[in-house]
Amino acid sequence: MPPALLTTSLVNSIQIGSLYALMALGITLTFSVMKLPNFAHADYFTAGAYAALIVSLSGAQNPIAIMSAAFLVGALTALLSHLAVFKPLESREVSLYTLILASFAVGLIIRYILFTMADYFNLFDLRIGIPLQVLYREGFLILSNIFAWVVPTTIALVILLTLLLNATPLGREMRALANNINLARVIGIPVERVKNSTWLLVGGLAGVAGALWSLQTAVNPLMGWAAIISVFAAAILGGLSSFSGTIIGAYVVAFSENTVILFLNYSFGLDLAYKPAIPFIIIIAVLLIRPGGFTQLLKRGGKLQR
Amino acid sequence: MITVHNLTAGYGKLEILQDLSLSFGAEQFSAVLGPNGSGKSTLMKAIMGINTIFGGSVQLAGRELIGMPTEAIAGLGIAYVPQRENIFDELTVLENLQLGMRSLSPERRVAALKELLELFPILGRRRGQRAGLLSGGEHQMLAIAIAWLSRPQLMLLDEPSAGLAPAVALEVFGVLQELGQQGITLIVVEQNARRILQYCDQAFVLREGQLAFQGTAAECLGDEETIKWYLGVH
Repeated sequence: MPPALLTTSLVNSIQIGSLYALMALGITLTFSVMKLPNFAHADYFTAGAYAALIVSLSGAQNPIAIMSAAFLVGALTALLSHLAVFKPLESREVSLYTLILASFAVGLIIRYILFTMADYFNLFDLRIGIPLQVLYREGFLILSNIFAWVVPTTIALVILLTLLLNATPLGREMRALANNINLARVIGIPVERVKNSTWLLVGGLAGVAGALWSLQTAVNPLMGWAAIISVFAAAILGGLSSFSGTIIGAYVVAFSENTVILFLNYSFGLDLAYKPAIPFIIIIAVLLIRPGGFTQLLKRGGKLQR
Repeated sequence: MITVHNLTAGYGKLEILQDLSLSFGAEQFSAVLGPNGSGKSTLMKAIMGINTIFGGSVQLAGRELIGMPTEAIAGLGIAYVPQRENIFDELTVLENLQLGMRSLSPERRVAALKELLELFPILGRRRGQRAGLLSGGEHQMLAIAIAWLSRPQLMLLDEPSAGLAPAVALEVFGVLQELGQQGITLIVVEQNARRILQYCDQAFVLREGQLAFQGTAAECLGDEETIKWYLGVH
C-alpha cells in the first residue's frame, strides 16, 4: 500500500471516526438513559446539517455560529420527537420493539420533511460555503482546515460531555436514571425533566456532528441514514453503555472503513465496493463473539460508564 | 399523619389490597406485618404511587396522594426505601448521598453530611467506593441514608433487614430507632415480627389484603392468635 494513500486514509479515519464518535455517544446516552436504540438519531444529524447549510447560505461564515444553529435544531428535533412520539408510547408501556419501530418511523418523518424542504428551496447536494484550505503539509501528510475543525471540536465536546456527566448535578441525575429509573423517581428526581435534557443533549450532539460532516461533503436528506449503521456499529462495539468504549469503537469502525479496506484492496484485490459491508460485519461479529463490546474488554461492566 | 381509606390496589389487573382502611400516627414507629402475599409491600407502593390503584384514598395530613406522580409524593417529605434495588449501584457512595440530598440548600447539605457521618460512620469511609461493591449491611445503611438525607417527615421501609446477618439486622433496627427519636414517622414492613415488635410503637397485621390486627407492639405480642396464625412466630 503506497505511503501517501496510507497517510491519507489514516487522516480520514481520524476525521470520520471523530464524527462517528459524536453521533455514537448520543446513541449510547439515549440507550443508557432512555433504554431506546434510536434509529431516528440519524435524522437529527441530517437536520443539524441542513441547519448548518441554511445558516451558511444566509451569509454566516463563522463556524461557531453554524455549529450553534446545528446544535439548536438537532436538540429541538430530538426533544420534539420525544414529546410527540416516544413519551406517549412509553406512557402506554409499549414493548421495546414497538419503540424501535417508532424510531424508524420518526426518522422517516424527519427525513421526508427535509426532502420536502430541500425540494421546495432547492437545497440538494449543496456544500457549506467554508472553502477548503490546506493548513499543514509534511511529506504525504496533508491536514486541512476541516480536519482542524472536526477533531478538536470532537475532543472538546467529549471532554465537556464527560464533565457534564460526572461533575454536575444534571449529569449525576442522568447517570442515576441510567442506573435505576424507579429509584430515581422514588427519591424525587424529576425524571421527565432529566429525560428532556438528555434528548436536547443527544440531539444537539448529533446536530453538531451533522454540521461538521457537512464541512467535508455535500448535504442531502439521506446523509444521516447513510451513516447510521456505521454509527450503531461503533456504539455496539462500546457495548451501548460505555463512553470510552464507544469512542474507541467509532475510530475502529472508521479505521476499518478507510484504511483496512484499502489495505485489503491493495494486498488481496478485495473490491472497494465491499466497504458498506464492514459495519454489518462488525455488528454481527461483536454480537456473536463479545456482545458487551469494549466495555467487557475493559472489565468495567455496568450501565453508563465514563 | 397518613390515612388510608377503602384502598384497593395491586399490579396490572390483579387486586392485592382489598378495601383497606388504616391510619398511621405522626412521629410513631409503625410495623406492617403479615405473611407473604398479604399486601405489605403493595401498601408501601400504593402510598408512593408506584402500583395500580383501583379505588380508595391515601391522605397525608389531609392531602390526597392518589393520582400524584411518585416524584411529587417524594417532594412532600415522604422517603421510601424499596426492598430491592434501593441504591444506585453503578455510582459511588458519595454520589448516592449527593442524590439523596439534592433538594436541600447548600448550607443544609453541609449540616446533613456532618450528621450523616455520625449516624452512618461506615459510609464516610466508603464514600469513594462504587456502591455496588458494599457489603449487605453497608448497602442497607446507604439505602436508609439516601432516604434520610432528603430530611423526610415520613419514611417507608420495605423489609430493611431482609438478607442480613442477625447482628447486622440489629444494627439496622438500632439506626431506625434513632431516626424515630429524631421525630421521623416510620412505617416499616418486616418479615421478622418478633424482632421489629421490640422496636416499634404500633403494629398492623395484614392478611389477604385486609387488616387482621391493629394495636400497640405489646398488644400484638400478647395476641396469641395473631402471633400464631399470621406472623408465624411462636
